[in-house]
Amino acid sequence: MSPLLQGILTVIIGVGGCIGYFWASNLVLDRVIFPAKGQDAGRNINRANAVRPWLFLLPALAALGLYLVYPVFGSFYRSLFNRSGDEFVALGNYGALFADSEFRTALFNNFLWVLFVPAAATFLGLLVAQLTDRLSWGNIAKSLIFMPMAISFVGASLIWKFVYAVDPEIGIINAIRDTLGLSALDPLQVGFWNNFFLMVILIWIQTGFAMVILSAALRGIPEETIEAAIIDGANPVQIFFKIKVPQIMGTIVVVWTTITILVLKVFDIVYTMTGGNFGTQILPSYMMEYMFRDDGRATAVAFVIMLIVLPVMVWNIAQARKEMR
Amino acid sequence: MKNLASSTAIAVILSGAAYADGHTAAFTPGEGPFDWDSYTAFAEATDLTGQSVTVTGPWTGDEKAKFDVIMAFFADATGAEVNYSGSDSFEQDIVISARAGSAPNLAVFPQPGLAADMASQGLLTALPEGTADWVAENFAAGQSWVDLGTYAGEDGSEDLYGMFYRVDLKSLVWYSPAAFDENGYDIPETMEDLKALTDQIVADGGTPWCIGLGSGAATGWPATDWVEDLMLRTQPPETYDAWVANELPFDAPEVIAAIDEFGAFARNDDYVNGGAQAVANTDFRDSPTGLFEIPPACYMHRQASFIPAFFPEGTEQGEDVDFFYFPAYAEKDLGSPVLGAGTLFSITNPSEGANAMIEFLKLPIAHELWMAQGGFLTAHAGVNLDAYESDALRAQGEILANATTFRFDASDLMPGEIGAGAFWTGMVDYVTGASAEDVAKGIQERWDALN
Amino acid sequence: MSVSDDGIAGAKSSLSLVTNLSVIFLVVLWLIPTVGLLVSSFRDRDAISSSGWWNAPFATEQNFAAGAEGEFTQTPDGWVIEGNVFGEDGSGTVTAFGGRRAEPTAFQPGTTGELVRGRTLTMEANGDYRYVDPGEDAPRRNPTLYFGTQVPPSFSTDNYETILFSNGMDVAFINTLTVTIPATIIPILIAAFAAYALAWMDFPFRGTIIAVIVGLLVVPLQLALVPMLTFHNDIGIGQSFYGIWFAHTGFGLPLAIYLLRNYMVGLPRDIIESAKVDGATDFQVFTKIVLPLSFPALASFAIFQFLWTWNDLLVAKVFLPSNSDSWVMTVKIADDLLGSRGGDWGILAAAAFVSIAVPLIVFFTMQRYLVRGLLAGSVK
Repeated sequence: MSPLLQGILTVIIGVGGCIGYFWASNLVLDRVIFPAKGQDAGRNINRANAVRPWLFLLPALAALGLYLVYPVFGSFYRSLFNRSGDEFVALGNYGALFADSEFRTALFNNFLWVLFVPAAATFLGLLVAQLTDRLSWGNIAKSLIFMPMAISFVGASLIWKFVYAVDPEIGIINAIRDTLGLSALDPLQVGFWNNFFLMVILIWIQTGFAMVILSAALRGIPEETIEAAIIDGANPVQIFFKIKVPQIMGTIVVVWTTITILVLKVFDIVYTMTGGNFGTQILPSYMMEYMFRDDGRATAVAFVIMLIVLPVMVWNIAQARKEMR
Repeated sequence: MKNLASSTAIAVILSGAAYADGHTAAFTPGEGPFDWDSYTAFAEATDLTGQSVTVTGPWTGDEKAKFDVIMAFFADATGAEVNYSGSDSFEQDIVISARAGSAPNLAVFPQPGLAADMASQGLLTALPEGTADWVAENFAAGQSWVDLGTYAGEDGSEDLYGMFYRVDLKSLVWYSPAAFDENGYDIPETMEDLKALTDQIVADGGTPWCIGLGSGAATGWPATDWVEDLMLRTQPPETYDAWVANELPFDAPEVIAAIDEFGAFARNDDYVNGGAQAVANTDFRDSPTGLFEIPPACYMHRQASFIPAFFPEGTEQGEDVDFFYFPAYAEKDLGSPVLGAGTLFSITNPSEGANAMIEFLKLPIAHELWMAQGGFLTAHAGVNLDAYESDALRAQGEILANATTFRFDASDLMPGEIGAGAFWTGMVDYVTGASAEDVAKGIQERWDALN
Repeated sequence: MSVSDDGIAGAKSSLSLVTNLSVIFLVVLWLIPTVGLLVSSFRDRDAISSSGWWNAPFATEQNFAAGAEGEFTQTPDGWVIEGNVFGEDGSGTVTAFGGRRAEPTAFQPGTTGELVRGRTLTMEANGDYRYVDPGEDAPRRNPTLYFGTQVPPSFSTDNYETILFSNGMDVAFINTLTVTIPATIIPILIAAFAAYALAWMDFPFRGTIIAVIVGLLVVPLQLALVPMLTFHNDIGIGQSFYGIWFAHTGFGLPLAIYLLRNYMVGLPRDIIESAKVDGATDFQVFTKIVLPLSFPALASFAIFQFLWTWNDLLVAKVFLPSNSDSWVMTVKIADDLLGSRGGDWGILAAAAFVSIAVPLIVFFTMQRYLVRGLLAGSVK
């Protein structure tokens, strides 16, 4: 069977199967198990409503459980063992991590990334979304800014190589320095700031993401509230910060969270640009150094990464509680 | 010979990855400097019709195309279906697939260290009995190749797990003959001469060396080759072996001295193109282009035998570029040591076909067919040297044959976290200003931390 | 469209000018790297590593070496060899010349340069040269001549031809589509139901499940590769398209559920509650009201999941068989076209643009839906 045919069949079977599952399971629940008629009608409706969320969640929970939760627990267990996996070392791997200066550098840099990249990408994304909102060529501008999103990380790293290269014939930054009469310098070897030069690459990519989501949110703001503000004599800047931003705060936070999480996962940029040298190591690329060599150590790093995201998780529980009202 | 080789490459590219009979068309059975008799005998003795053999390895692009030709001959001889797939991230892929139980029949390891690691986890199958004896007898310096391929298995017993196929020569310095000629520079015969030549070039207003350590995630590895080569030129081979086994600690004075020898070249702004700063992050693939610029950006480039793949298009070896042996110190009397590396075949998923492949790789023709396509050196002593694609390659084969000491790339033998991790990053730190003592101490600490 | 006439009449035009200018500034800033990549994709490896892409459209001065052809003849001046550096058929303009590789542009055309040992070299702008060696014996080898000349910019579509017309690329393209389309649609469908349950249904452990999903967002997928491949082998699907669809679905779900749930929570409560009062079941509320209203969120997630699966190399290498029949485009480019050790920058750049094309088409088609659903109903 040709893969394409197989693919089309899968889409049909997969989509049909999913819809069929949800439809049929609801039907069975309402008609067969807890029919909303007869003497127990009221109780049955309540029972059915108690079960229904789990019907909706079942496929997602099953997939998540299998593909993510199970490996996570398996990995945590693994992180308590030594390199060859035959000796229990309790938290020994974690202790060894914190004793390693490269790990501490990576941790510190990662905090820089987590603070700076989501903030900058969200801010720029919001700025572009607002500026292009009523522009006649706004869609074109948005598409151009979105473009880096579609470039693979390898392609992105390649082109930034041509920005940062030391040779003034190849690197655009050093070409500019050259015309200004300054000597060539490798931006990726400038202590501390080289982290920010690497962050710029991810910001360049992720601004498009923030822009797409935020621009949809901006368009969702009811016209009446803005008109009311104009009548009250508010200037455009006030409208933006006092009316629009608070209204889309929820979306801003979602974008912020998503980019934060991406920052904690993306190793490609540091990996291909500097290989973690010159003090630019971050946790995901540090983990890759151990991955498939010392699984105990690698999984321990993964759990440190997951610890960093703990505040975001707590915040999301709080949000969910609030929504339940 | 040369035309033949390039037409093969074209034939391979045109026919894509499918193992059509067209693959074997470039070499006509019975013709050329190949050992067809043993091939015919092998073909008659082996019948794998209906079976398939899967192989993965690090060769992609051009190299894959060349290897595909050899696999096509194997397929023709045995009737088996062969599938070779190459990957730039081979080291990662093979571990994943072996652990998941979906390993190919054979894997081609670029690093003995990784193969040893996998053997100890029980992911490799020992080669058929008698292979070790065969390698010892039929390879030049056979026993050393047996030792490099012998590891402890899961149960601790030692067996031969890997058979070397294809060797890279690392102790080469590439240069432009025209530039040397016009400036009246002679090929240095000793390390003292090489250092004098380096100073001479600076005095003449030129830049002697192009050094680039950049290689993405593997940034730093070219420096490890330098240090290993210099280690062999300042210390007896036994010290080198002790260093590889970490019986000699990484921060021993002998190692620090070798690192500083490298620093004498790489950390001198006058000696390297772009200054010391450029060394750390210049891509190793772009680094040799300095030889070809007019005026030359540099005059010499120390790199392994595979580097011509990255020379500008149309570069003629022997004409536009040539190489000489990275010389040894005359005063140290350590002979002429050679640093090399190589790839080895291991069985990751035993089958009749996998054993047949090992048998096939014992045939001279399995080596000669790649020798004829260029970019291939072999330790197999039974091959016809006429099969080498060019004189340059033959000359490299001679360096290999004349070596008084042959040692394998240390970083490939060390545990992955060191040889493909701490050693790399340590060398980058060193080139960017850290002291050799601190760097060596850091690497040794990492090594101590491995349990 | 009341906002564009902001009411403050005088400020309006200057404001829109500022807006236009800042957007232009940002777009240009964003485009510089992309343009660099585009320009590079039309150049070969040697050109890319020898001059900046911003110089690519201009003629550049480059130095060349040419071996003198023919034989020396004896004249009263000494041994002489004459010819043209551009060859018999070629033409060009010499801007400078020299007799040593180290000084290729020492002399101006039309003059006579003094070389070592009394030798002289004269070169005209059209490339005609005359090399004179006053020595007694005939020179043993012909000299190499160096000259500088203007080289016109050179672009070619070779990189694209290598990628697009290489054998098996059609199969790889179809394979990529085969992987990406189900791997985009199936997680969206599953996630939409789950997101609805998490947003609008009341049941125990809801908050915990949400928190766990946020936590799962950050799980590095490298952790899951080995266990999942083992699992696939155990249940008999091994390395196959089924395996990669399941894997992408599993890995994509947390983000899908998170984004969709957050969007659905923001939908107007009264619409949903009044529907329920009218006797609609949750299933009906979901399919008839929530799903259509959530179109922008569905579309934006579809774009991202599509991009991710389209550009993915790691998951494809692990979960698909390694034979060339099941290569996706990224694997085909990385393993087959890029050349050993991945050094061909031109191919890399072209590959980046080839792989960008389809996601951009998807983006343009989806862009309309990004707002349509929102305008259908107003959000709180």
